[in-house]
Amino acid sequence: MSEQTVMIQNEEDTLLSRFPKVVRKDERKGYEGYVVEANALTDFARTLRDELGYDYLSSVTGVDYLPQGQMEVVYHAYKTTGGPALVFKVQVPRDNPVVPSLVPIYPGADFQEREAWDLLGIKFEGHPNLKRILLWEGFHGHPLRKDWREPYFEAEHKPYKSRFPEGKVFRAEERNPFGKNVDYPAGFDPAQWTPDNTNALIYEGLGRVEKASDDLPTEQIVVNLGPQHPSTHGVFRMVVTLDGETVVDLEPVMGYLHRNHEKIGERNTWLMNMPFTDRLDYLSPMSNNFGYALAVEKLLGVKPPERAEYIRVIMAELTRIQNHIFAIGMFLNDMGAYFTPSLYAIEERELILDVFEAVAGSRMMVNYFRFGGVARDIPEDVMKKIHDLAFERLPRRIDELDRYLTNSEIVRVRGEGVGVLTPEQAIAYSAAGPVLRASGVPYDVRRAEPYSIYDRFDFDVAVRYHGDVYDRYLIRMDEVRQSIRIIQQALQQIPEGPIMSGKPQYQHRVPAGESYGRVEGPKGELGFYVVSTGKGNPWRYHVRAPSFINLTALAEMTKGQKVADTVIILGSIDIVLGETDR
Amino acid sequence: MGILSQPVGAIAAWLQALLEGWGLAPGLTKVILYLIGAGLVATLVQVWVIFLIWFERKIIGRFQDRLGPNRVGPYGLLQPFADLIKIITKEVILPAKADKAVYLLGPIVMNAGVLAIWAVIPLMPMVGMDTNIAALYTIAVGAFATLGILMSGWASNNKFALVSAIRTVAQMVAYEVPTVLALLVPVLLAGTMSLHGIVKAQHVWFVIFAPLAFLIYFIASVAEVGRTPFDLLEAESEIVAGFHIEYSGMVFAIFYVADFLHAFTIGALAAVLFLGGWRGPGAEAFPLLGVVYLWIKAFAVYFLVVWARGSLPRVRIDQMMDFSWKFLTPLALILLVVAAVLDHFVIGLGVWGRALSHLAANAVVAWLVLQYLEHYDRARARQRPMVAQPGQYPEARPPAPVETSPETAS
Repeated sequence: MSEQTVMIQNEEDTLLSRFPKVVRKDERKGYEGYVVEANALTDFARTLRDELGYDYLSSVTGVDYLPQGQMEVVYHAYKTTGGPALVFKVQVPRDNPVVPSLVPIYPGADFQEREAWDLLGIKFEGHPNLKRILLWEGFHGHPLRKDWREPYFEAEHKPYKSRFPEGKVFRAEERNPFGKNVDYPAGFDPAQWTPDNTNALIYEGLGRVEKASDDLPTEQIVVNLGPQHPSTHGVFRMVVTLDGETVVDLEPVMGYLHRNHEKIGERNTWLMNMPFTDRLDYLSPMSNNFGYALAVEKLLGVKPPERAEYIRVIMAELTRIQNHIFAIGMFLNDMGAYFTPSLYAIEERELILDVFEAVAGSRMMVNYFRFGGVARDIPEDVMKKIHDLAFERLPRRIDELDRYLTNSEIVRVRGEGVGVLTPEQAIAYSAAGPVLRASGVPYDVRRAEPYSIYDRFDFDVAVRYHGDVYDRYLIRMDEVRQSIRIIQQALQQIPEGPIMSGKPQYQHRVPAGESYGRVEGPKGELGFYVVSTGKGNPWRYHVRAPSFINLTALAEMTKGQKVADTVIILGSIDIVLGETDR
Repeated sequence: MGILSQPVGAIAAWLQALLEGWGLAPGLTKVILYLIGAGLVATLVQVWVIFLIWFERKIIGRFQDRLGPNRVGPYGLLQPFADLIKIITKEVILPAKADKAVYLLGPIVMNAGVLAIWAVIPLMPMVGMDTNIAALYTIAVGAFATLGILMSGWASNNKFALVSAIRTVAQMVAYEVPTVLALLVPVLLAGTMSLHGIVKAQHVWFVIFAPLAFLIYFIASVAEVGRTPFDLLEAESEIVAGFHIEYSGMVFAIFYVADFLHAFTIGALAAVLFLGGWRGPGAEAFPLLGVVYLWIKAFAVYFLVVWARGSLPRVRIDQMMDFSWKFLTPLALILLVVAAVLDHFVIGLGVWGRALSHLAANAVVAWLVLQYLEHYDRARARQRPMVAQPGQYPEARPPAPVETSPETAS
């Protein structure tokens, strides 16, 4: 018996003996982890964190089991020393889903619980700020519930048969003139309604600091940075309370780009979701494909052939390089450099996008991965191009960027000591990726729980110890160098062979069960939680979006800093709104 | 009086004769002549801005590894005209609850402040108002531009604009001091505050006498104009556009022109104070050459401003204040004292002897400053706190799948 099994056995004994009756193993076929009674959840989580060392709550989400009349909240907790997840679930009745909030134990659950309330209507008792997060307060219903139906609803699952009468495409929108089939609450007239309380709800939550009476009397003003603002990287909004130039409080407001990606994902077939994942973090589509493919492959039990694994790694690392270089460029933009660094960054990005275009046919929306392989092989001349990039151009250009930017006096004074996040805070807030590693925690999914073939490569986990904005910038530089190393090794080792295991399929028979696939995306841990009931469509499709969860720590990092710092702190987290809002 | 040796004087004399021939009183003709002269200078420099806009866009384009405007006209030279036509046709929007009078006055005041500086700039020998307080005057009316920004920022009824206006005032107050102190060095060397006098005194350019003062003057002026790295007043990534966020159409265009013109004006001032103004081979005999020389020198300084814009990020407000009060101002004071004391002893050494001894003193001060900066840099690096020690958190790895012996595994 291996040590790992022993350890897991010990954990299981501890948990089951400590919490008799209220904790049991999840016995459903294809499921793992524990089912915890709602009233024991807080104690259970505290035991996990304090005694068993599961200090990192990665993912919190809900699943609506309509036929069973149950709501289930699923938690994935990890140890920051590495290893597999511990999954635990809480099952509550569907008509009154109340679950104790885990925010006091894992502050990183904050946004995710709000999301679960928003989309599934699960109430988290004891949550400090349980408001809707992606939708607006006036939204009717909770869209991820299985009995909620969107306007223009046609059928539960794609492909919609009604769209192709006699072989011709017919759009549902043409049949449903606007407004006819929308279900409004009683007495609600959209033409008469003007939004009034949304802002009030946001502003109420903002703290105002009472000053000592002998201080200079100043008025605190509330400023909206965004949603239309040059440096919020999209349509993100920060409601900032300012005292002069100093930020007193900050509340992130998001959801302007929300499209209920997860509901669409449940309507789609398994394979149809692949191109949709490109749209999450549109700057790093290959990583998104990777995460989703891993999650579904776990359920399917297929393994891609060797060559496909190498191609996947090469593509994922190229994605990381272009994302990080772009992030550095945009970070400098936020710092006030007039587009020069970002344009140099974009130049390198273009070359990598050329590679994506050559292998996948599209520069950004690549739709390249398939369950059990990749869509197409890398052509010979493109292989040469990647070779040139990895061995010649990119190392040179990253050195050049390093030379111009890293020791720039202004970059250093602006970045050093700004937006500091201690490792304790970073872990508690479930920060992931460069944000976590810049705070001195060398946690990288590629090393902590190697997926695909990452255990074969020789690379270092980049880590820095100051936890400030400047370190987050340096981490990205380091990671680009490590990614180049990985690509170089992969290029030397890549074998010839098939790129798909089995025949390419349009419709997959996915066995019932749940699965959580996670990859180290450029922005952090990107996870896909999927539940299958054995049908052609996922029952639940959830994205653990690193951009979204990293924002939990934003307010903490920003308080007491200047307005100008707010912008670069946000830039150093490196968010993409397509992923944040989903 | 030949047209080549006294071009402006000749034209003025002809015009005066013409007007008096129409029977106007001599006093009135003088006023009309001054008005024509002022109108001419103000119009020409504002038209010149059209070229500056093209130049800056082109240069920034090259810095950023792209071509810059190249579609409209040869080398894109007509691009600013296209922009101009577009901006004139746009509506001037008044924000709700804006203070209308102040809102519309803001850009005009700013532009007027910049243009007023041109009244005393000696474009060539004998041209330009020769007052004995010209150097002081440039500082005084230069502050007018700041007033314009404060007015528009306040009147816009916009929080971003308000933050920008307040930043501008803080910035102006902080950087006026080193500007004046650095400006006092050429005044002291020339023994006059008249800009004509300062130019005439520069048989050797004052930049050789006082390179550090030139540097301080340049940096502080850039800060006063609000160009990168001190463009906090319109910081695009923070307060969107700052004071002119609400402006559109022609009133915005006035800001735009004033901004570019201000940057060029500090180039011209630096050229006059430190780079010999209109001086150059043959400028005494043919004053029109003097304009060309001044223009080239002003352009060189302006190019430095554009260069900074194309390559530097922005500093933060408190860092900017620190930089002025804790570094530039003391350094400017030291330089002023050094120049004053040294000049007392070396005034008899002849032009080059005097210049070189000043240069040597500057080199000593520069060396000391660099030593101090290095020390400061090391001290700052030591102060930067670490939130975690290396090795405090071990690298995350999966638990090793080691086979254990049957005895330990029950």
